Amino acid sequence: MSNALETNKLSKRYGRTWALQDCTLNLPAGRVAALVGPNGAGKTTLLHLSVGLLEPTAGSVQVFGLSPTTQPGEALPRLGFVAQDTPLYKGFRVDELLTLGRKLNPGFDDALARARMHNLNIPLDRRAGKLSGGQQAQLALALALAKRPDLLLLDEPLASLDPLARREFLRQLLDAVTETGLTVLLSSHIIGDLERVCDYLIILSASHVQLAGDMQEIARTHKRLIGPRQDEAAIASVHTVIEASHTERQTTLLVRTNGPLFDPSWEAQEVSLEDIVLAYLSQQASERLQTPPSAREQNGIEVLK
Amino acid sequence: MTWLVWRQHRAEGLILLVVLAVISVFLLITGLEMANSFQQLRLSNCLNLVSRDSPCQGRMQVFDNQYSFLLGGTTLLLPLPLLLGALVGAPLVAREVEQRTHLLIWTQSITRMRWLTVKLALLLGVVLLVSGALLALLYWWQSPSAQIHGSFISRIYDTSGPVWVASALLALALGIFAGALTRRTASAIFLTIALFVAIRVPVEVLWRPNFETPVTITWPIDQQEPPALSNQAWRFASGYIDAQGNRSSDLREGCTGEMTTTQCLQANGVQANYISYQPGDRFWTFQWIETGIYMGFSVLALFAAVWLVRRRLN
Repeated sequence: MSNALETNKLSKRYGRTWALQDCTLNLPAGRVAALVGPNGAGKTTLLHLSVGLLEPTAGSVQVFGLSPTTQPGEALPRLGFVAQDTPLYKGFRVDELLTLGRKLNPGFDDALARARMHNLNIPLDRRAGKLSGGQQAQLALALALAKRPDLLLLDEPLASLDPLARREFLRQLLDAVTETGLTVLLSSHIIGDLERVCDYLIILSASHVQLAGDMQEIARTHKRLIGPRQDEAAIASVHTVIEASHTERQTTLLVRTNGPLFDPSWEAQEVSLEDIVLAYLSQQASERLQTPPSAREQNGIEVLK
Repeated sequence: MTWLVWRQHRAEGLILLVVLAVISVFLLITGLEMANSFQQLRLSNCLNLVSRDSPCQGRMQVFDNQYSFLLGGTTLLLPLPLLLGALVGAPLVAREVEQRTHLLIWTQSITRMRWLTVKLALLLGVVLLVSGALLALLYWWQSPSAQIHGSFISRIYDTSGPVWVASALLALALGIFAGALTRRTASAIFLTIALFVAIRVPVEVLWRPNFETPVTITWPIDQQEPPALSNQAWRFASGYIDAQGNRSSDLREGCTGEMTTTQCLQANGVQANYISYQPGDRFWTFQWIETGIYMGFSVLALFAAVWLVRRRLN
């Protein structure tokens, strides 16, 4: 399957700080991917690099085989982007923003945008700055969708929305995905709401990609193992231990399995996606993962360090 | 894109248009009155007379007394280009970044460079047209005074030739550059003013008098009156030349009452009187040289702005 987004050792440095380092990533077309990581992990940097707002310090990024910085004329029409906090020209009326979309995008679907505004009860003659946060987010989404992009990138689209607006926003997004089959990459510092919407997961932390892969696959291969207190070395020789905690009598591990589990002394449990994400994020904070080389790129999951 | 430029700049455009309309009406009314006085005082007969006791002198004085306030008011026009630079130029990139709308506008199908070049082309084009139109009016308005006093007086020189247009374009270009550099509208406005003054003042004060080598004429010390010079000549230095050819504007020693002027000058070692000036017919050459200088700075500023937007932002 072709990739909507491909990065290769993509790195971005601001002054002396690396915002993103050696990020290698393939996002297959047709996926709805969640880009998850704590604040300051490099999510915004990755998205901005992907839409050509930033130029890489090193490495490369391609959308549908096009470089967003050197081939913006070809790449930009295929990209939809909604930046964090959905910046809009606050003094423009809603219909003026739609006109802006129409004037600046040859393939702009004006009817679609107007229909969305109508369905959401957003008055066309209201100034964008007078709309509620949720309405502004919907307007920004409508503008990006009416561009008819092949890849839609959303930077923390849910952060400023209340739970109701969040649900509505995601519903609108999913409708669009089912209608057009576009690829979506949306960033968030929490996984909660995204679980139902996304089928692909990318975990980014401390400017590195920790994990990227199919969501179900990730859920299937990650297990919580509970057993009598013991060292995790035996398990770690076959599987990848993400997190280990010990009490006096018991050891609890969160592992990515690289094959079947044989040792009957362990009790294997399903883990929620949220726990997996948290494990990766806290693991990053403590130590670097020791992965058997053979385990890399197994199960369609890429592990990058 | 044209629509967007119109939509984003219509407020500033309206302000500038109102300012210009008020100025134009004012110039029309007062200009007609001045042209009328000029004719009634028969000042056109006076233009080639330079003798001090000519009856023309009195009539010129009448004209000057009547309109000096008005003519001096032209100085108020000089900050107009700065207003343009601060109002339109400085926020062009800075406000987008401040309000983060650059993230919206640079991710539409149109490329960032096209966004910038269309904006620049349209705004510079409009400024060129509008300042050109105002120039035509100013040129007509200043002409009575220019005929009497010469076009080299800075209040006339700055507002009745292509330097006026170039100065508007320079302010706009510097504003755009400052905005792209600082990404803050407020700091960009200050930087625009600073840069504009830093370029204009030295050019006007230090460079302009020397665009071409000034003409110097000398006359003997026993001759009180200098040779006749046209009204149009720009006199900027006069004084005494000693035997070594050194020029000075003051005498080393004062003169006592018993001495005649000639004796006094001789006592000071003065060999001749001199006066340095730029002939009036160099006006347009000077205008185009200065226009070239400002255009050069404008092009530099615009290239820097394009580079900043392309490479440095974010």
